[in-house]
Amino acid sequence: MSRIELDGVRVAVAVEDPESGRTHSKVLLDGVGVDLTERRVAVLGANGSGKSTLLRLLNGLVLPSAGSVRVDGLDTAAEGRAVRGRVGFVFTDPLSQLVMPTGREDVELSLRRHHRSRADRAAAAQAVLDRFGLAALADQSVYELSGGERQLMALAAVLAVEPSVLVLDEPSTLLDLRNRELLRRTLAGLDQQVILSTHDLELALDAERVLVVDAGRIAFDGGPAEGVAFYRALCGIPAHDGGR
Amino acid sequence: MRARISPGLLAGYVPGHSWLHRAPLWTKFAGVLAAGAASFMLLDWRASALAVAAVVAAWLSAGLGVRRLVAPWRLIAPLLGVLFAFQWWQQGPAASGRIVLNLLLCFLAAALLTATVPLRELLDAVAGAARPFRRFGADPERFALAIAIMLRSIPVLAGSFAEVGDAARARGLERSVRARTIPVVLSAVAYARRTGDALAARGLGDADD
Repeated sequence: MSRIELDGVRVAVAVEDPESGRTHSKVLLDGVGVDLTERRVAVLGANGSGKSTLLRLLNGLVLPSAGSVRVDGLDTAAEGRAVRGRVGFVFTDPLSQLVMPTGREDVELSLRRHHRSRADRAAAAQAVLDRFGLAALADQSVYELSGGERQLMALAAVLAVEPSVLVLDEPSTLLDLRNRELLRRTLAGLDQQVILSTHDLELALDAERVLVVDAGRIAFDGGPAEGVAFYRALCGIPAHDGGR
Repeated sequence: MRARISPGLLAGYVPGHSWLHRAPLWTKFAGVLAAGAASFMLLDWRASALAVAAVVAAWLSAGLGVRRLVAPWRLIAPLLGVLFAFQWWQQGPAASGRIVLNLLLCFLAAALLTATVPLRELLDAVAGAARPFRRFGADPERFALAIAIMLRSIPVLAGSFAEVGDAARARGLERSVRARTIPVVLSAVAYARRTGDALAARGLGDADD
């Protein structure tokens, strides 16, 4: 398993007040220090709490204003390319990240820097598509796929280059119940270390460790059942309220 | 806002085995270049019309279908109409017809290329053509990626225009230029940011080895 270390991380952005024209610093995350070595980690938090920022730190999409983020000892600020080779990232909306017209072409795009020969690339892409049971959908337009199929295709394109860590930002938000279950099963079968943010408490309960982010700080760090209970309490939802 | 996708301003690949599908890729690139050059060299609207007719004939003979040929017309006709009217006012009907037909010729030639060549083959060709520039520090894969992003963005942005137009109509603002344009600009910026993030996350924008 990879080791991800966040040490004294602060993320702040400059925001301009449209009325006064003055800029001030808005803190998105502050005082974050965690060491992630578990196979499955879930991050919970309300919209705007900072959980997406936390995930984006992990492959260098966002760099810390202070502190450091390291993946297997590699600093995301100084060794971003090496970090991105280890950490794959899946976005909420797969259409944001599927660049090519068909899934097969998108998987091949991921492999372009790894396999210069077209034949090698095609064979490697076919192997990835077979592994995820997507071969039959590979030549359809990505716009014709269902939400779940698209999300799996985006996942396949990211996993094609065999990252050791997979980060997913609210991967089930746009999925219906059936596709959510399909995604859950797929994630459960992966060898990679998986770190995901979610509003889906069932998905969070599958994790070994849960972080709850609130107002830019880690408000809870512990086991899944306790983490989900903490989050529910934070949202003011009683534990006996039906459905998770 | 999630963008609606408007099919084919530039046609997507249409699988097939026609003479155009089988033609070597370089001949199709040469055709697009020739159409671009012709737009400067054809000085008579009748010659331009003949060239457009030839490309349309090639399109139909390749079995690409009338529907795909006219599908983008709804999107480009207003632009060509405005251009035609402006040029008529500036230079008269003959010059105006020539300019619009030459533009149409370039557009159709490019559509013919994208309709008969899978995008991954186009990327390989572009990356191959850009390889000599590596000695000047250029990254051929970035050239190819830029083409892929451009081709992908056209239908997304066209879809955004259509979606924003629907939204403006639903609010009774179909005559408001502001209601029909500002949301398109904002969604285009948001789309560009999302795409940039996604490419960065996949390491696709990183410099080559």
